[in-house]
Amino acid sequence: MAKISDGMRILQGLLVFGNVIIGMCGIALTAECIFFVSDPHGLYPLLEATENDDIYAAAWIGIFVGFALFALSILGIVGVIKSNRTLLMVYIILMLITYAFEMASCITAATHQDFLTPNLFLKQMLERYNKSDTDNNNDKWMTEGVTKTWNKLMLQNQCCGVRGPSDWQEYTSAFRVTHNDADFPWPRNCCVMDAQGSPVNLDGCKLGVPGYYNSNGCYDAISGPMNTHAWGVAWFGFAILCWTFCVLLGTMFYWSRI
Amino acid sequence: LRPHSRPRHPGARTMLPLLLLLLATAHGLEKIGYKPALASSDLGGLTTASTFTLEQPRCVFKELPEDAVIWLVVATDRATVNFNTSVKPGTPESAFQQFPTHVPAYMTLNTTILNYPCPKTPGGITVLRVGSETSCAGDETRPTCNGPLPGPGPYRVKFLALADSKPSVETDWSEPITLRSAQPSGSIAAMGSRHSAGMIALTSILSILFAILLAGLVAMLVWGSDACSGSGSFNKPEAVTVRRYNTHHAYDQPAARL
Repeated sequence: MAKISDGMRILQGLLVFGNVIIGMCGIALTAECIFFVSDPHGLYPLLEATENDDIYAAAWIGIFVGFALFALSILGIVGVIKSNRTLLMVYIILMLITYAFEMASCITAATHQDFLTPNLFLKQMLERYNKSDTDNNNDKWMTEGVTKTWNKLMLQNQCCGVRGPSDWQEYTSAFRVTHNDADFPWPRNCCVMDAQGSPVNLDGCKLGVPGYYNSNGCYDAISGPMNTHAWGVAWFGFAILCWTFCVLLGTMFYWSRI
Repeated sequence: LRPHSRPRHPGARTMLPLLLLLLATAHGLEKIGYKPALASSDLGGLTTASTFTLEQPRCVFKELPEDAVIWLVVATDRATVNFNTSVKPGTPESAFQQFPTHVPAYMTLNTTILNYPCPKTPGGITVLRVGSETSCAGDETRPTCNGPLPGPGPYRVKFLALADSKPSVETDWSEPITLRSAQPSGSIAAMGSRHSAGMIALTSILSILFAILLAGLVAMLVWGSDACSGSGSFNKPEAVTVRRYNTHHAYDQPAARL
């Protein structure tokens, strides 16, 4: 009967444990990224209109990476227990490829979180909300997306504009082109609505009487979910990669010893 | 001493103001020291690009006949000196549509003293919104239209009460009121986000870890494959078959194999 030294046994045990953790984290990563991709807050059209929706690409990569991690962890467990050099070599190479993809996803998510600033959404809202003359189909699609999303945001979160209703006064906008300032100092959805969806007091809303219009900005309602999304992908992925690094080093050492 | 022997000069000096007072009361125009003011700054829409909101002149006009009509006079800041109180409302000389190019001031928001009851009822918002009527802004048949103001101003307003179509009471001119001007939305700097410290840390750590893994892989391939297994490590020996060819009742003896 072949003897396995205690050190190697411990290493085997550790590697199996490490792979179990990787498998579970892979499933968690997949689930988390599916949640983000499903866009529960309906903010995707805003990102799409910035023409830089890399955070969503990062989440998509995360789904597949999570799955790959789960599958590879099973392979790793089998390889370690059987002490099969070929299996472990395949495991290490595939894990390195998965590692590279997950690294790309994390870095993309972290970089694009910095890209999402209040000014970005302000400019987009002013230039696209209720824009009437669209150049082409793509422009029309993005404009409709932005308009619908903002209308929904302002209704559901009782907010107006990015920093407040004064955004509509301080800057020119596509909205201002079709809606004159005296009747629409800000869009109708900034008014407090009753159950039927019409303003409680239209004159009070136009005057800006507190209680008849939404005086706070929507930026928190936008940046909250997006920051959670970006952090979830970037930093959870980072944690998984640190753990995977240790397990891979251990596997490489184990491979060289069997 | 008889009055006739006194010098003429002091007499001439006292005569002039007396004469003016006589003229004024003969005209019937009384000036009260009330300055129209903007309403409370709680209102979000106190001044917009084409409207502004004044406090109602409550408890200002005393002893005004009930059928007197109180008009609001809106003038550009520089034209206040040109305003003649004998201008009749509802004529082209005071028409909103001719303001500010042809006439220095226009008259609008006519009402009787009954709409400004004194004392003020507590609660409720009593304001005058100048510029709220958009439907008649271009209609020449409505010279007393309360249309949106054509530019950012500055403007000054005063109240003028007419009794029997003759100016009866006027207030002071208000302080200059400047409306909001909108900056172009293209001037918003949407870019220029600095990379946050977290993103830089994440990128550099992950890159270093990946480099270590690749180095480990190379080391593993170069040195690991020809490293002999350490003592006590689990060995998978080659199947060694020793064959002895014995013509007499001999059989193969495969070496001990696990």
